[in-house]
Amino acid sequence: MKMPGMTIRHASAMPAPTWSWLKMNDVTVQIPDGLERNCQVEIEAGDTLDNTTSFEGSVAALQERIDAEREGVQADGRAMVTAATGSDRGAEELDTPALSTYERRAVLSEVSSDIAADFETGVGADMRAYLNFLAGGTAVLATEEGEEATATVRVTTREGEASGASIDIVAAPNSTFSVVLSLDSASDKPAFMGSTMRVFAGAASHVDITVYLTASDAVAGVEDSGFVLDEGARVSVRHVVLGGAFTATGLAADLRGDRSRIDVDTSYLAAGAQRRDFNYVIRHRGRKTVSNMNANGVLTGTSKKCLRGTIDLIHGAKGAEGNERETVLLASKGVDNKTVPNILCDEDDVAGNHGATIGHVRPEQLFYAACRGLSQEQAEALFLSAKLEDAALRAPNDEVRANVVRLGNQIIPHFEEEIA
Amino acid sequence: MSATPLLNIAGLTASVDDKTILQGIDLTVGAGETHVLMGPNGAGKSTMGHVIMGDPVYTVNEGAITFDGADITDLSPDKRSRAGLFLSFQAPVEIPGVPLSSFLRATVADRPGLEMKGKEFRRRVKELAAELDMDTAYLNRELGVGFSGGEKKKVEMLQLLLLQPKLAILDETDSGLDVDALGVVSRGMDAYRKSTDGSLVIITHNTRILEHLDVDRVHVMVNGRIVREDAASLIPWIDANGFDSFEREAAAQLTAEQNAEPAAAADPVRAASMNLGAGMVQSLRATLDANGATCGSSNTGNAQ
Repeated sequence: MKMPGMTIRHASAMPAPTWSWLKMNDVTVQIPDGLERNCQVEIEAGDTLDNTTSFEGSVAALQERIDAEREGVQADGRAMVTAATGSDRGAEELDTPALSTYERRAVLSEVSSDIAADFETGVGADMRAYLNFLAGGTAVLATEEGEEATATVRVTTREGEASGASIDIVAAPNSTFSVVLSLDSASDKPAFMGSTMRVFAGAASHVDITVYLTASDAVAGVEDSGFVLDEGARVSVRHVVLGGAFTATGLAADLRGDRSRIDVDTSYLAAGAQRRDFNYVIRHRGRKTVSNMNANGVLTGTSKKCLRGTIDLIHGAKGAEGNERETVLLASKGVDNKTVPNILCDEDDVAGNHGATIGHVRPEQLFYAACRGLSQEQAEALFLSAKLEDAALRAPNDEVRANVVRLGNQIIPHFEEEIA
Repeated sequence: MSATPLLNIAGLTASVDDKTILQGIDLTVGAGETHVLMGPNGAGKSTMGHVIMGDPVYTVNEGAITFDGADITDLSPDKRSRAGLFLSFQAPVEIPGVPLSSFLRATVADRPGLEMKGKEFRRRVKELAAELDMDTAYLNRELGVGFSGGEKKKVEMLQLLLLQPKLAILDETDSGLDVDALGVVSRGMDAYRKSTDGSLVIITHNTRILEHLDVDRVHVMVNGRIVREDAASLIPWIDANGFDSFEREAAAQLTAEQNAEPAAAADPVRAASMNLGAGMVQSLRATLDANGATCGSSNTGNAQ
């Protein structure tokens, strides 16, 4: 049955918005009209496909432990807590501040310390609900304590269809779990695909997630994820977004456990009139937590891109450090690039760093390339092919590599022969 | 020298930001010849390499550059490269985001005789890297990013050997190199000469790099002018005596020219334009034309 088109507004919203006229606070996702729901998801997970473990159960266990640790701890007496909880109804305390909606919500979250209530995904609840509907159910991939495991999830879609996957990943303590997620479609007519993922990284676990989005020019794709990290957990995420008329990539991480760490490496390419949207929200709640966000992209043609990166250093995250950096190469004059690094901080003993390098190909670089026989157009094309080649070389398996090559052949003549 | 020189520069004057850097350069390089361009710092040697290659930073005000029988004065740098010219940079640029192997592959694409398919290309590049004692891991790294000075120069030599140009200008390829790297660069130059019989214009301060080469001509540049051209025997003389005498000669010549300037004032535009930019010279010429003054002639003041 064909579904009517849908518009999801305020997706991938920044936690602390800026001026709305800048049009970078969030993104509107259009699901094309007349698509048919057809879930095309393949999962290769071996023993990790699990019906006995649940994301909710793991979160509840962590909650129980945290609640036990909080018992007997003296109540937070800061003025803003008083203001947020409304305990000063008589306005007896003169230094009780007025809080913004955002501040009130943030303080209440701190006070309740409710992991389930705080859980979020990068693109947001509405998109997650839609993807869950497309998926029809959630697959749980889980490791056992101390286990090393791998899994591959393939999502695709065809002309006139909408396909989605819903995956929960639960890494038990001291386990290592590597997951590859491929979102690929060669459809040359409108289609939609996406995935939504919840990840629980148990104590001292290692989770590696590699996502390749290699959709053709007619397809819209969304990749949505949310992470909860227990004590000492380490998560590495690699997002490689190379194709798709419109793509939205969102990641939210709750670094709840002390000394937990997440590294996010994003590589993207947008050519022609393609649009890329990224939203990263990393909340440091545990002590000595670390996050690194590195994005590197190339924009050509009249493509558009917006990347929001928020590091939230929440009260109590002593010794936490968050870093974000983006390098964007604008290979054509018609591109539209927005980069919004954002650091929120309610703790003294923390470090937050951000930086962005945005630039056109420099004249000396063009001259150097010209001295080797490359015209300006060829030099600009080189940045595209280099990005694709790097993605092909670092592809996690042959199938993903073939998807990159297919996409490369559409953009660069003889791409396959060149990298053979 | 062969009857038709490979590179012929005649009366070349070039400037940047209205400041003249090269003045009246004449230089001829025959096919298969090795020329050395020497001179004190700031003489304009590197500028000359860049101007020959067509760096858009510089403006050619006068003169012409002919390469392989064709006037390339107005040709873009990429076309000069494809015509067979090569410039090895003194300070090679970094290009983040582009792996060295991707860059190299793009540079050989669509070059007649150099086109190679994937495996053949990789094999060839690895061969050259081995010849230059270069770790092949560099091929997958971003061009120049995090490379040492020596590695950058090796990459320049690798490109020289890969592209096999008819004429290569090596701009202080030996500068800042240790003894081992210097040996590698020397080997690269030697391999280039043997494999292609191409011409070399070597810009250097260090005569050690020339020990294994048969140098045909030496040019000494001071203050943007070539003040001396001689046989290879000039190299040991420069080694022993430096450039002082050339600089003194150049200063004396400049003084003599300045003293003789009234004679040159027969061309009022030329006389008045000594310190003006090209655009202003045009404007001055137009003004004088309108007033019936003489233009473009240096041997007569007669407007009849």
